[in-house]
Amino acid sequence: MPRTHFPSPLGRALPALCAGLLASGLACAQAGKDIVVGFANAKSGWLEAYDTPARRAALIRIDEINAAGGLLGRKLKVVETDTKSDRAQSAKAGLEALDQGAELLVVSCDYDFGAPAALEAQKKGKVSFFLCAEDIKAGVQGVGKYAFSSSVLGAVQGATMAEWAYHKRNMRQAYVLLDTTIEYNKGLCTGFDWMAPQLKGVTIVGRDNFKNGDASIAAQISRIKALPREPDAIMLCSYIPGAASAVRQLRAAGIQSLILNGAAVDGSYWLDSVPGLSNFAVPVQGSVYGDDPNPQVEAFNKTFATRYGARPSNTFAYPGYVLIEVWAKAVQRAQSLDADKVTAELEKMRGEPTLVGPRTFSKDIHHQNQARLLISEVRAGKPGIVDEWTISNPVPLPVLLKR
Amino acid sequence: MTAALQYLFDALSLGSLYALGALGIALIFGVMRLVNFAHGDVMTFAIFVLIAPTTEAVAPLWVGAWATPLIVLTVLGVGAALAVLAELAVFRHLRHATPATTMMAAFALGFVIQNLLLALHSSRAKAVNLWPQLNLPVDLWGARVPALQMLMIGITMALLVGLAWMLRHTRAGLEMRAAAEDFDMARMLGVKANRVILVAFGMSGALAALIGLFMVNQTGLVDIRMGAPMMLVAFVSTVIGGLGSLMGAVLGGFLIGFVSTALQAWLPLDARAFRDAFVYLGVIALLLWRPNGLFITGASRQRV
Amino acid sequence: MKNFLLRHRLETPVLLCLALALLAVLSLAGSNSLQRTTTEVLIRVVMVVGMFIFIGHSGLISFGHMAFVGIGAYGVAWTTMEPSIKQYVLTGLPDLLQQAALPWVPASLLAGLLAAAVALLAGAVILRLNGIAASIATFSLLAIFNVVYSNWDSVTAGSSSIVGIPTPVGVWQAFLFAAGAIALAHWHGISRFGLALRAVREEPVAARSCGINAWRQLLVAFVLSALVCGLGGALDAQFLGVVNPDAYYLGRTFTCLTMLVIGGSASLSGAVTGVLVLSALMELLIRLETGVSLGGMAIQLPSGSQEVVTGLVMVLTLIRRPAGLMQGREWQWPRLTHPSAPLPAASLEMQPR
Repeated sequence: MPRTHFPSPLGRALPALCAGLLASGLACAQAGKDIVVGFANAKSGWLEAYDTPARRAALIRIDEINAAGGLLGRKLKVVETDTKSDRAQSAKAGLEALDQGAELLVVSCDYDFGAPAALEAQKKGKVSFFLCAEDIKAGVQGVGKYAFSSSVLGAVQGATMAEWAYHKRNMRQAYVLLDTTIEYNKGLCTGFDWMAPQLKGVTIVGRDNFKNGDASIAAQISRIKALPREPDAIMLCSYIPGAASAVRQLRAAGIQSLILNGAAVDGSYWLDSVPGLSNFAVPVQGSVYGDDPNPQVEAFNKTFATRYGARPSNTFAYPGYVLIEVWAKAVQRAQSLDADKVTAELEKMRGEPTLVGPRTFSKDIHHQNQARLLISEVRAGKPGIVDEWTISNPVPLPVLLKR
Repeated sequence: MTAALQYLFDALSLGSLYALGALGIALIFGVMRLVNFAHGDVMTFAIFVLIAPTTEAVAPLWVGAWATPLIVLTVLGVGAALAVLAELAVFRHLRHATPATTMMAAFALGFVIQNLLLALHSSRAKAVNLWPQLNLPVDLWGARVPALQMLMIGITMALLVGLAWMLRHTRAGLEMRAAAEDFDMARMLGVKANRVILVAFGMSGALAALIGLFMVNQTGLVDIRMGAPMMLVAFVSTVIGGLGSLMGAVLGGFLIGFVSTALQAWLPLDARAFRDAFVYLGVIALLLWRPNGLFITGASRQRV
Repeated sequence: MKNFLLRHRLETPVLLCLALALLAVLSLAGSNSLQRTTTEVLIRVVMVVGMFIFIGHSGLISFGHMAFVGIGAYGVAWTTMEPSIKQYVLTGLPDLLQQAALPWVPASLLAGLLAAAVALLAGAVILRLNGIAASIATFSLLAIFNVVYSNWDSVTAGSSSIVGIPTPVGVWQAFLFAAGAIALAHWHGISRFGLALRAVREEPVAARSCGINAWRQLLVAFVLSALVCGLGGALDAQFLGVVNPDAYYLGRTFTCLTMLVIGGSASLSGAVTGVLVLSALMELLIRLETGVSLGGMAIQLPSGSQEVVTGLVMVLTLIRRPAGLMQGREWQWPRLTHPSAPLPAASLEMQPR
C-alpha cells in the first residue's frame, strides 16, 4: 500500500528513509520489483496548503492503479520528500527522491518552487510533472524536454473567461485589474488581453494594478468609479488572499459588475469574506460542489472525502489525479519507463480522455493551451457550475511565452 | 473637485492605517530604543483568536462570534498580553544589549510567533466576516467613503489627541516621556522603569490588535502574512517622522499613505507597478534632507 | 609555522579556512544531499562575511545587502545563460548580453563588480546618513531593488523565475570563494581602512578630529562588502540554477543578519561561526523532521517544528550572549603564554549617546 505521510508519532519508522546526520547517501534504491514515484512537495511552510490536495489526489490514483494490478505488472511505490516551501530545499528534496530510484518526479504546484526539483529530474533524465503549475515555463521551455504539467495554463483561463462572458453575459466593456505579485496573475491577464481584441465590440475601458499584500485598493476603486459607466465585467487577475480582499472592497464600494477571475480563486472556503456574493465567475477543471456533469468526478470527490476526512476544497486536486492518469497511460503504451519513450507517448496525446476532460500534449507544449473548462459562478454566496466553455482557438505559443 | 476629494479620503484612510502602525512602533522605540520587528506578528496573533485553530480550509468563528464589545476587548487584550509577555520573556533580559541584538531578537520572536500560527492554522487565508455594515459607503460632499475608513481616520485622530494628552497631563505619561528622553536619569529620579516599559508594550500591543481589526474588516480575511507589508511601512514611517516622537510617527504614516495613493492615482499604467520603488526613493530623499526625521526630539539630536 | 602566521597576522583566516576545508572534505564522504547542504553553507559564509565587512566594522545595520546578492545573481544569469534561451525569455537585454556566454569564474567576478558599482553609486548618496536613518535608507535600497527586479519583465523576467542557469558550483568552487571572501574581509580588517572605520564606529567625533573622513571609509567598506555579497549571489545562482527576486528579499536578509548577530557581528570569526552553528542547527532539525532512527527507535519531529525551534534557539542565544557567540573575539590557537590582544569588542551603536 502506498505510504501516506502524516505527522507520525514516536515509534513509527519510515522505512527506507533514514537520513542520519552524516547520512550515507547510499539511499535504499528500490530497484527491482516496484516502480518508484517520487513526490518532492511542500509538507510544511506556506506552500503546503496548495501542494497537499493535489498530492492526495495523485495518491488516490496510484492506489487505483495498484488495485487494478499495477503498471507494467509492477506495483507503484510512493516516496515523499519535503521541500519545506524553500527553493534550495526543493532541489535537495528532488535529489533525495531521485536517489531512491524515482522514475517519475512529481514536483510542487508552483513553477518557482517546483523548478529546482524538476531540474534535477531533467538532469538525471527522468520525467517530471508539476502538480498544478499553470505557467508555460513549467515544461519544455523552462525546465527541459521531460517536464510536464497536467493543469490548464493561466492564459487559457483568462481567454476562456473573456470569450464566455462575451457570448453568454453580453460583456462589451471590460476592465482589467491585475495583481502584479506573481506570474500566474500575469498569465491570466495575458490570456484575457489576447482574446479580447478578437471579440467584436469589446473594449477594455481601463486597466489598473495592485499588489496582493496591499491593505487597501481604494485608489484603484476610485478609478473604476470615475468611469462614465460601470464596466460590464471586471477581469480580476489575482489569487487568495488579495483577490478576496479586492472583491470585498469592490462590492462594498457598490460596484456590481460581473467579476471574472482564474481558477486559483475556486472554492467556497473564502466566500465568507464577501457574504452574499453574486455575479462572480471562475473557470475550473472539475467541480468540487457535487454538480460536475461527469459522475466520475463526484465519485472521486466522495473517495477523497472518505480517505482524507473532507472533500477537496477546490479544483486544484484534479490535476494531481490527472497527471498520474496520463503518465501511467503513456508508460503503458511505451511499455517502458525510459523517459524518451514515455515523453514521446505523452506528446502523442490528442484529446486523451481523463477525469476532467480531454488532455493534449505536443512537442513544444507540455501543457494545455486549449481546454474544456467548467464555469463556476457564485450566486448569493453559493458557487455552482453554470456552464462549460472551450476557447475557439488554442493560445499560440508566442503569446504564452511573452508571459 | 469630487475626484480630488475622493483621493484625499483614500489617502487619509491608507495613511491612518500606516499611522496607527507607526504609533505602535514609536511607543516602544521612544522608551526603549528597540525596533520591535515582532509588531506585525503580534497583530496577526491577536486577530487569529477570532477563529478556532484548525488547518482546514474553513475555520469556525471563535471569539469572532461573540458580541461586538467583547470581541474588541478580547482582541485588544490578547494583543496587549502578547506584547507584555514578549517584554517579560525576551526583551527584559536584553535591556543592556546593543540595538542590533534586540532588533534581531525581536525579529526571531516574530518568526517564532508566525511559525506557531502556521502550525496551528496552516498557511491558508481564512475568511472572517466582521461587521460588514462598516464597509458600506458614506456620501461626503460627493466623495464616497466607506464607513470603516471614516472610523479609522476618526480613531487615529482621537488616539493621537488622547495619547498626547496622556503624555502631557498624566503621571504615567510624564514617566514615559522622561524615560524616552533619558532612561538612566529617569530611573535615578525614581521612575519605575520596568513598569513604564510594560505600559508601553501593553499599549503598543493593543494598538497592533486594533489595526488588525481594521484590516480584517477591510479585507474579510485573516492570513498569517497580513502584518508584514504594513509593518515595514510603519517602521519606515517612524524613522522619517523622527524617532521617539509620536506625532512624527503619525505624520510619517500619513505622509507615506498620501504619497502612495497619489502615485497610484497619477502614475501612468506602465510605471504603476513600480509605485513602491518611487515611494522608497522618496523616503531616501526625505532622509537626506532631514536625517533625524521631521520632528526632532531632544533624544535624537546629535550633540556635535 | 605558527610564528610565521602570527607575525603576518594570518592566524585567524587560516584557522577559519581550515575549518571550512575540513567541512568540505567531510561532506565529500557523505551523500549528494549532504554535499549540497555544505555548498549552501559555504555560499552563506560568503554572503555573511560580505555583510560583516560593512556591518561589523561600521556598526551600522544594513538591511540592503541582499540587494547586492541579488544583483550578483542576476548578473551571472545574464552572462552565462545560453543565448538561445535568453532570446525569448529576456527579450529586453542589450545585444552584448544576449550573446554572452561566459565561463563561470569571469562571469562571477563581473557580477560582483556590477554589485560593487551599484553600491558605489548608492552608497555615495546614503552613507551621508548615520545611525538608524542609514539603516532605513539601506532597507529602502532593498525594497527598490525588489520592486524594480520584480517588474522589469523584459530584463529580469519579473516575478517569474529565471531557470536554466548553468550550475558548475559545487563544494570546492564554493570553498574557494569562501576562502577568498575571508581573505578579503581579513585584509580589510587589518588594513588602515578597517582601522579607520572602527575608529569612526567607536568615537566618531574623535575620529574626525584625527582626519578620518567617515563617509569615505564607510563607502570603501560598503563597496567591498557589496563586491563580496555580489560574488555570493553569483555563486548562489550558479548553484541552484534558478533566480527569483523573492529569494533576495526579507527572508534571506533576516536569516543572514541573524547568523551574523548570533555569531558576533564584531569579528570575522563571529560571522563564520554564526553561519556554521545556525546552519548545523537547521540541518539537524530538518533531518529530525524527516525522521531519524537512533538505535532502533525512530524520532520524528512534526512538520514545521524546524522553524519554531530555530527561532526559539535564536532568541535564547541572544538573551544569554547578547554580544554573540564569539563576543568580538577571533579564532586563535590556544595559548599558554599571554594572549595577543583580540580585535576590540564593539558595541553596535545605532545613535551616538
